[in-house]
Amino acid sequence: MKVNDCEVSEELYYTKEHEWVKLEGNNCRIGVSDYAQKSLHEVVFVDLPKVGSKITRSQPLGSVESVKAVADVFTPISGEVTEVNAKLADTPELVNQQPYGSGWIAIIKPSNLEAELRSLLDAKGYAAFLKTQAK
Amino acid sequence: MSRRTHLYDFHARNGRIVEFAGFGMPLWYEGVVPECKAVRNGAGIFDTSHMGRVLISGEDSTSYLNYVTTNDVTALGVGRGHLSVMCNEKGGIIDDFVISRLAEKEYLVVPNAGNREKDLSWLRKQAEKFSVEICDVSDEVSMFAVQGPNAQKILQETGREDLSLIPRFGGRNVDLDGIKATITRTGYTGEDGFEVFTWDSPLEQPSKAIAVWNAILDHGKVFNIQPCGLGARDVLRLEAGMCLYGNDISESITPLQARLGFVVKLTKNEFIGRDSLAKEKAEGAKKVRVGLKMLEAGIPRAECDILKDSQVIGKVTSGTFSPTINQGIAMGYVPREHSKAGEKVEIRVRAKNLQAVITSFPFYDTSKYGWQRTT
Repeated sequence: MKVNDCEVSEELYYTKEHEWVKLEGNNCRIGVSDYAQKSLHEVVFVDLPKVGSKITRSQPLGSVESVKAVADVFTPISGEVTEVNAKLADTPELVNQQPYGSGWIAIIKPSNLEAELRSLLDAKGYAAFLKTQAK
Repeated sequence: MSRRTHLYDFHARNGRIVEFAGFGMPLWYEGVVPECKAVRNGAGIFDTSHMGRVLISGEDSTSYLNYVTTNDVTALGVGRGHLSVMCNEKGGIIDDFVISRLAEKEYLVVPNAGNREKDLSWLRKQAEKFSVEICDVSDEVSMFAVQGPNAQKILQETGREDLSLIPRFGGRNVDLDGIKATITRTGYTGEDGFEVFTWDSPLEQPSKAIAVWNAILDHGKVFNIQPCGLGARDVLRLEAGMCLYGNDISESITPLQARLGFVVKLTKNEFIGRDSLAKEKAEGAKKVRVGLKMLEAGIPRAECDILKDSQVIGKVTSGTFSPTINQGIAMGYVPREHSKAGEKVEIRVRAKNLQAVITSFPFYDTSKYGWQRTT
């Protein structure tokens, strides 16, 4: 579905800071939403976390940067980083091109998934939240 | 509501608007990266009407300007211009701007957007002992910058005068598709290019300014002209090593610290700030502005600490990603003993110490980019 020209992917969970979470078996894939990438415009650098690092919900996972702006990416899910999208080092523009696809940021093995999932927005909830944001 | 230039409707229709120095201005149209590339490889046009235009005329205009600014105005022939700074008694920079000599006793000064009111009141305050007239024509004259290796070809198409005869910082009156304007070979990108001043073009009657803008865009189409916003403007000036007032220079920085010593002429007659600047020059500036190039991935930003052997030695004043050299670049101030090009330092970027190297300006290869390019 689309809200204010921003794609909201149906099968994902979201935060009000515009991160998304995709459940993949026992793991969670994390990225930033179409709204986030459109606000930043041209992503020229992504600061990725270290594989193996353990992070708690709402801690910085990294940053997504355009020429003039920096957006922090906070992890919506606590756990251990098991994989990062190394392709973003050379092609950070994937975040713009496919925010819900090849522009993903990291995969986390969750430590408290069930409880944390409840605090996230589903696609419908995120779409409603986007409507309240200024264009 | 923020103030608007003649071209506001164009900006709102085609770009993303941000507020800058009280004006609603375009941050970008297509994007910062393609706009930077357009200026380095073809041409770009910028609306710079948010800046100030001040005419200074009268019997004492030359001696007056020589007293309030640091460069030597007596060296300017009619139709010539130069970069200068205006300092307070301590040598702190009140503003940096280009001064163009339009006639024997008439000059055009172009203050930074954020300094318009401050400059005017300082200029007026210092004028008491001189026979000069200071006239703020900012809202009566539009100003655009046409920058890039194709800039001359594009403006050449709009009139008959041979623009190749205009030297750097020189200017002349031209006809742009029948509209009277003054162009100067100046800019804020490091590239060859011109700034275009259209007279009798008040804000409330924008049609003439719009006609000039459209004429340049039309003639520029075959030369790959691109409208450019403030985002590209800031990146391009940083790549060229030029200061942004409020970031890299301010009233607590002197032109000697900012490495603008070439606009300070200590041997000319008395001028405001001379004693302080002469003293600092004799002793040597304790801290100086340097270029910083990242040696690893990461983008330095203003306020980041600069470190040497784990000790903080300075701060970044401007930083960005450079699309031209595809690296993070910055400028900042460090003690003179650490200011040599080639010296390795670290910059603390988002809680990580990243390797960087002190670099001379501009950041790009001057044989390939900039007004001195050879290829």
